[in-house]
Amino acid sequence: MKSNWKYIIVALMLLVLIGIGYFSSRFVLYLAMKIMILSIFAMGYNILFGRTGLLSFGHAAFYATGAYGVALCSMHVHTHPLVGIMVGIAAAAFLALIIGFFCVRHTEIYFAMLTLAFGMMVFSLMWNLRDITGGDDGLSGIMRGSVSLGFLKISITKDSQFYFLVLFFFALSMLLVHRIYQSPFGLVLAGIRENHVRTEFAGLGVKRYRLAAFVVSGAFAGLAGALGLLLESNVTPFAAHWSHSANPVLVSLMGGLQTFSGPIVGSIVFVLLREFIERFTHNWMLWFGVILLAIILGFRGGIVGSTTQLVKRLSKVS
Amino acid sequence: MDKPGIKRRDFVKMGLLTAAASALGTGVMKPVGLWAATPKIKGPIKVGYQAVLSGTLAGYGEFHKMGALMALEEINAAGGIAGNKLEMEVRDSTLAAPAALQNVRYFVDSWEADLLAGVDSSGQALAVAPVVGQLDRILMVTHAATEKLTEDEVFKKGIKQVFRICTPTYQDGNAAAFVAKDLPATTWATINPKYEYGFTTWNMFQDTLGKLKPGVKFVADSWAPFGTTDFRPHINTIMDAKPEGLYSVVWAGELITMMKQAQQAGMFDKIKYVLLPVGAAMDVLEGLGPEMPDNIWISGRYFFLYPDSPQNKEWVANFRKRWNHYPAYVSETAYSTMFAFKKAIEACGSKETAQLITALEGMELDSPAGKRVFRKEDHQAMYDVPWGLTATDPKYPFKIMGKQVVIPAKECFNRPPFEGDASKPPFKS
Repeated sequence: MKSNWKYIIVALMLLVLIGIGYFSSRFVLYLAMKIMILSIFAMGYNILFGRTGLLSFGHAAFYATGAYGVALCSMHVHTHPLVGIMVGIAAAAFLALIIGFFCVRHTEIYFAMLTLAFGMMVFSLMWNLRDITGGDDGLSGIMRGSVSLGFLKISITKDSQFYFLVLFFFALSMLLVHRIYQSPFGLVLAGIRENHVRTEFAGLGVKRYRLAAFVVSGAFAGLAGALGLLLESNVTPFAAHWSHSANPVLVSLMGGLQTFSGPIVGSIVFVLLREFIERFTHNWMLWFGVILLAIILGFRGGIVGSTTQLVKRLSKVS
Repeated sequence: MDKPGIKRRDFVKMGLLTAAASALGTGVMKPVGLWAATPKIKGPIKVGYQAVLSGTLAGYGEFHKMGALMALEEINAAGGIAGNKLEMEVRDSTLAAPAALQNVRYFVDSWEADLLAGVDSSGQALAVAPVVGQLDRILMVTHAATEKLTEDEVFKKGIKQVFRICTPTYQDGNAAAFVAKDLPATTWATINPKYEYGFTTWNMFQDTLGKLKPGVKFVADSWAPFGTTDFRPHINTIMDAKPEGLYSVVWAGELITMMKQAQQAGMFDKIKYVLLPVGAAMDVLEGLGPEMPDNIWISGRYFFLYPDSPQNKEWVANFRKRWNHYPAYVSETAYSTMFAFKKAIEACGSKETAQLITALEGMELDSPAGKRVFRKEDHQAMYDVPWGLTATDPKYPFKIMGKQVVIPAKECFNRPPFEGDASKPPFKS
């Protein structure tokens, strides 16, 4: 029964998303795309944070690398969006491999500080390599080429068309992350989080697994960055700033660290809440902060975590 | 293992379904364009305004708002625009490009704005321009100064929806060079912000001054990152190079800090000629008060004592009455933006973007800052802002612009086609 229930929720969500793509106004489309992109970012991030138990403050660097990867690729090499996205993901994963190599030797606060430092190094590189990255002005006006698959060419210039590409990658990411969680690899990661000494005694290379988780989450960040660039047609070095790294952390915490759908729910709340508050007050930052605090303190295990607990308790009672 | 969640196979099925639907979705046409059909002026005229309302520069946003709101009140009190009420919503741009983009989309697609205005940073302006082109709404930029906006986005890429009412970097780089050429100094140095604005203006200054006064030397540069609070290393670097003149576009709170620290270091005893292209901003003048030394060259995008016209005087008096402040330059550009919109809409009898572009191109506007003309090619407003020497005046609790020099916009603004030396001052004719 329970598995059916979850099946229905996911099917409903996808149906709603497809419906949004066909019937809603351009602003709703835009917000939905922002939510999906943030979800991809946060879902990938949560492989490292919620699953492996490593808090990184440098993932914006991979997001930005993905974005710059697409931008530079479409400016200098090829405007095909899929080629750009592949380049973006590859660049982000490669960077994650290098940075991860140094970071996974440590855990907890040392790991967090190291990732923060590396992230800010990437930020200042992007800021200072003006000839390549455009300095603080960033790169702007990158137009979306059409997706040609050899036998057919699909235009994604309009937001209503591009939406389905984002949806495709969102569904694909969900599938992949779900697959990772169910795989032996994902179980080892959970083992590392619970007790890394024991995992090591079981004969598994903890560092290698951590590095793999780091690279995988970096690749997802790169995908999110690539899609973000195609959506906004612009990227600035601030995409790599540590304050941007805080977004997936917040989103995961809000939604629920130990859950699969937590980052998605968190993203929905994060994007819509801000949009909602801004309609009432210019002091949106203050109210946004207060509400985020209330959610994180009030919902143990995040929104998803505490809701499922509540449902469980209620079903026991009845 | 007994998995409580959905089965993998189910998941794969759903993924395939979504993928199939996505592939279908992009191919199927969908009615868009309902939003684009704005009928002849009907209903209120809505302006979406964005400025920075949070963080250290939030004061600028408040001054934007004061100017815009005052214009709105005046216009509506006098019967609106062609009989229609003017409405405005202000949003926080936070100085970050993603926020600016979201604001623009919210304004056009959700709030259904007819016109857009505001935007503080150059990075934001460059990010927003292509999107404004897609959404097909007029954007009047009131603060961002990058010349790339009008040269590249409007002139070269043809994004005709973007206009700019404030002076661009030409005023900071080129006009400063015209002032510098008449000064005895032959060696110059800079403490400039370590971002595009700083790099561009210093290049422009060197380039133009080098042509106006061959033989002049640029002996040192020191770059201060955004958020610098300790300018002493920069001041020492410059003083060690012993230049006769200093050029700096450091602005707002950072400029106040720099001036105080330079004063303590005795820099103004050693360096006699100091050019501050954005030194005439009211937050700087009021913030420094009597601590601003005399005889420093300052300029801005507008200064409330220029021009000496009845219109300007009346406006400044009204502004003080309404807000108990002297108008900052962004207040003037925000205020004049509303009247530019009014004039354009009334001239073409429509609030449709295409017609407004035609109306705005080449349009003359009498504003507090004097007569503005929107240059047809790049949509840059041509108007003169003076350069002047700081001076003490018992009437004001801060330093004002004493001796004023006007370098006409026609002489110091780059000209289309923005390629090669012929596009840059000095011009022969």
